[in-house]
Amino acid sequence: MAGERERAAEAYRTYGPAVYRRCLRLLRDREAAKDAAQEVFVKLVRDLSRLEDPEVALPWLYRVATNHCLNQLRNAGRRGEEPIGELELSGGAGPSFADRHLATSVLARFDEGTQAVAVGVLVDGMGHEELAGVLGISRKTVERRLARFLEGARELIGVTP
Amino acid sequence: MTARCPSDLALERHLLDPARSPLLAHVEACPPCRERVARMSAEGEHFRRFVFPATVDAVLDAASEPRRRRWFPLVLAPVGGLAAVAAALVLVLRPPAGPPPDYVGTMGGPITLSVFTPGAEGPHALADGEAVPAAAALRFKVKAKDCSLFILSVDGAGAVTRLFPAEGAAAVPPPGGELPGGAVLDGIAGPERLYAVCAGRPLPWGEVERAARAAAGGGADRVRSGARLRLPENASQATLLLEKRP
Repeated sequence: MAGERERAAEAYRTYGPAVYRRCLRLLRDREAAKDAAQEVFVKLVRDLSRLEDPEVALPWLYRVATNHCLNQLRNAGRRGEEPIGELELSGGAGPSFADRHLATSVLARFDEGTQAVAVGVLVDGMGHEELAGVLGISRKTVERRLARFLEGARELIGVTP
Repeated sequence: MTARCPSDLALERHLLDPARSPLLAHVEACPPCRERVARMSAEGEHFRRFVFPATVDAVLDAASEPRRRRWFPLVLAPVGGLAAVAAALVLVLRPPAGPPPDYVGTMGGPITLSVFTPGAEGPHALADGEAVPAAAALRFKVKAKDCSLFILSVDGAGAVTRLFPAEGAAAVPPPGGELPGGAVLDGIAGPERLYAVCAGRPLPWGEVERAARAAAGGGADRVRSGARLRLPENASQATLLLEKRP
């Protein structure tokens, strides 16, 4: 058991900053990110073997942290505590400002899988291929979910593309 | 820089070993990326100085706790041996028992679920209703086409446990051959019913979990009777009952 604790401590030292940064990026609050990083890592250390290879570990912990924080945002939004519109969106080429504005307005109305795609593309600025690898889905699925999100978002707020 | 700047995830890889990072040249030549890396480094330093000391005990305690079930890297036997056994013993499991009167019906392509446990002479394919040690290690193999898969279990206490995929809100297409990882039963005697659910359209885990909870809600007898999960028409299902023995 002592060996397992040492491995967990080493993993937390190595990957904790990435989890914390991910949570900070999504939650925009240091204290909330601290709590979320701890909660995420409590989940991650249940499968320490997946943290041994950075190529496997990083996309995995990124996905777990993203889902965890999106859940927090969604739950907080439902309780009226925290608007989800605080997300800082990716700039640069890609979706238009109007599309990105839609993301912050209506993200909470979609299922987790669609949210993960919307955040990956619109918040993180990830390419479809890279995001597909992170989420463990096909590129086509990424594109399909993104299209569904944008279409649904426009319908929700009554905007035509 | 005119090249597309790396994502945050790519920069996380970069920060693990900047000296050997393939992004080093881009980051050094791209002021916005240098700024991002500097900000990420500062946040990492904040983690090391304040967050890690305040939270590490809770994380390590979680790592030390006995777990009810967990995924584990399991090698049951050399791949060739497993394939041979699988070829001889793959079971096409019976479909779940007939639906209740209010059942909306299931359709979709056929699905087969094979469950293996280590035996004295290599992996053993389990039959429906077979007794297994209460803490048996399991591996899975699913055959299904053009659909996305969840594997889950329900027990006599009504607990629903997701077994595949380990993370994420959505099901994933079943990989060919045996599934990666495996599961360890919880060590508590009683019935445990495994379900493989494969749907042709995106099926949220929450929907599957709700259906499983409804199926498990009637106790051990309900679990043994093999109620079909109430899921959309395009979701195929296969199930296998295990009897966990002390």
